[in-house]
Amino acid sequence: MSVMQALLIALFVAAVESRALGYATLTMRFSPLMAGFVVGLVLGNMPLAMTTVATIQLIYMGVVAPGGAMPSEPCIASAMAVSTVIVGNLEPEAAVAIAVPVGLLGSYLYQLRFFLNTFAITKMDACAVKADSKGLAFWIGFMPTLFSFVLFVPLMFVALYLGAPVVSGFMDTISNGPVLHVLSTVGGGLAALGIAITMHVIGNRKLLVFFFLAYFLQVITAQAGITMITWAIFGVIIALCYGMFTEKAAE
Amino acid sequence: MSEIETTETVATEALSQDYHDYLDEDGMIQADPRLMLGEENKPEEITTKDLMKVWFRWWWCNEVPHSFDRMVAPSLCFGLMPVLKKLYKNPIMLGEAYQRHLQFFNTQAVWGGGIISGITVSLEEERAKALNAGEDAIDASMIQNTKIGLMGPLAGIGDSIDSGTVQYIFIALFLGMAQEGSWLGAVLPFVCFATATFIYGFLFTRMGYTMGRRAALEVMKGGKIKSVISALGVLGLFMMGIMAGRYVTISTPIAFTMSGKEFVLQQTLDGILPGILPLCAVLGLFFFFQKKGMKVTQAMLGFTAILVVLGALGIL
Repeated sequence: MSVMQALLIALFVAAVESRALGYATLTMRFSPLMAGFVVGLVLGNMPLAMTTVATIQLIYMGVVAPGGAMPSEPCIASAMAVSTVIVGNLEPEAAVAIAVPVGLLGSYLYQLRFFLNTFAITKMDACAVKADSKGLAFWIGFMPTLFSFVLFVPLMFVALYLGAPVVSGFMDTISNGPVLHVLSTVGGGLAALGIAITMHVIGNRKLLVFFFLAYFLQVITAQAGITMITWAIFGVIIALCYGMFTEKAAE
Repeated sequence: MSEIETTETVATEALSQDYHDYLDEDGMIQADPRLMLGEENKPEEITTKDLMKVWFRWWWCNEVPHSFDRMVAPSLCFGLMPVLKKLYKNPIMLGEAYQRHLQFFNTQAVWGGGIISGITVSLEEERAKALNAGEDAIDASMIQNTKIGLMGPLAGIGDSIDSGTVQYIFIALFLGMAQEGSWLGAVLPFVCFATATFIYGFLFTRMGYTMGRRAALEVMKGGKIKSVISALGVLGLFMMGIMAGRYVTISTPIAFTMSGKEFVLQQTLDGILPGILPLCAVLGLFFFFQKKGMKVTQAMLGFTAILVVLGALGIL
């Protein structure tokens, strides 16, 4: 990985974690997909980046941040894990073992950002009392963004530029038969975690029957190659029917 | 200052135009409402374009200045700035309004932020106009209490619908493309989610503005939104069922030969109920969360440990 490549990925991560691209950063931060896409673009291996990030996405399904803090930062995890897999040309399964610990560390960085932002508050108050609109906008919009870039760019750059080749080499030596089997077991099994979280967030136990319906439909038609879009159309139709019937009952 | 206290009908010019004269011991401006009188202080009309500005600024700034002590209050203040400037021509009144909207506030961006910023604009407009006309105006603390009262319940709805359901429906929809190595699998969920939430967030802002505080009631108690929420729940759970059947790959390699006959455990399991192992994993975790609450890190570490041990022993 060149200096330029590491820097570009670090800048993307900082842009997402500073939330300076607006609410659009929600999917970029909560899901590893866009970070994986950028890594694939910068490192020039889109197919491997996407198959790897799809594996990571499964363990990060259902991540929500009530109150702003998350137990893990999928964007940071994905930037690091996908880079490592591409640098060492590893199996996509290896990404899970890198993503989980990196994501946990990343969540501390995000909390540090909240702490840094408190320094801008006194300045905001000082501008507000004087009705200084320009100054207020500067301290609300610009300075916190700058804080985040100062926090995330150097750390991500060092982790990617120096860390990725080392981790990659280490993963390469241990990823022989049995370890790779364990990693793919973990990857395939952890997908259950994200799905269970999403179900918990939706939270309506009465509607669980629709989960069972879809699950067994998928299991018995696994060989038929029905696309996700097709299933979604069925899902929408069933949801609309549900709406119609319950509305009738409510009347 | 003594003139203000003694005479009721003092001219606007006689009031101090220095904010220092209005500060209380906490450094908050307690402006004299008479500062708002006069033709030069007449609030401008709020247009749909202004509402778009408010929504866009809040949408952009939503998480940028997030901090532990004020949470996302400065973001809402940033969003409201153009409207406040149009309503409060007097710098002291404007400063008071800025201070008001820098007080603690936290909510979800689309359902909470959209509706609350719309309601706040309508309340501020009502207040500014009444003050300018010299009538009884809405108290500033009432605006603050409205925001504080609504932020929690609306954030609860917004978090579970936007981040918890809508986002994952889009991701589920295109994950297959990502798995096959296509960049569209990453870009499409992002574009769809950002576009959808931007559009209905603006509709919420407008709804909050036109309906005032009734808008929040409509969302929290209204029948129509309730059925939209449960329909999204049906679709969300349906997609999770498909995801579980497709992507959770837990199977057992256990096989042995018993009196010359080969016995493969997975085949036996498939004979009883296909896909039973992944289903058990998902349901086990689901009921763990239902019982113990959202202990994600705990569940992740525990479940990983189980998978590592079972995988290493050759049971999975």
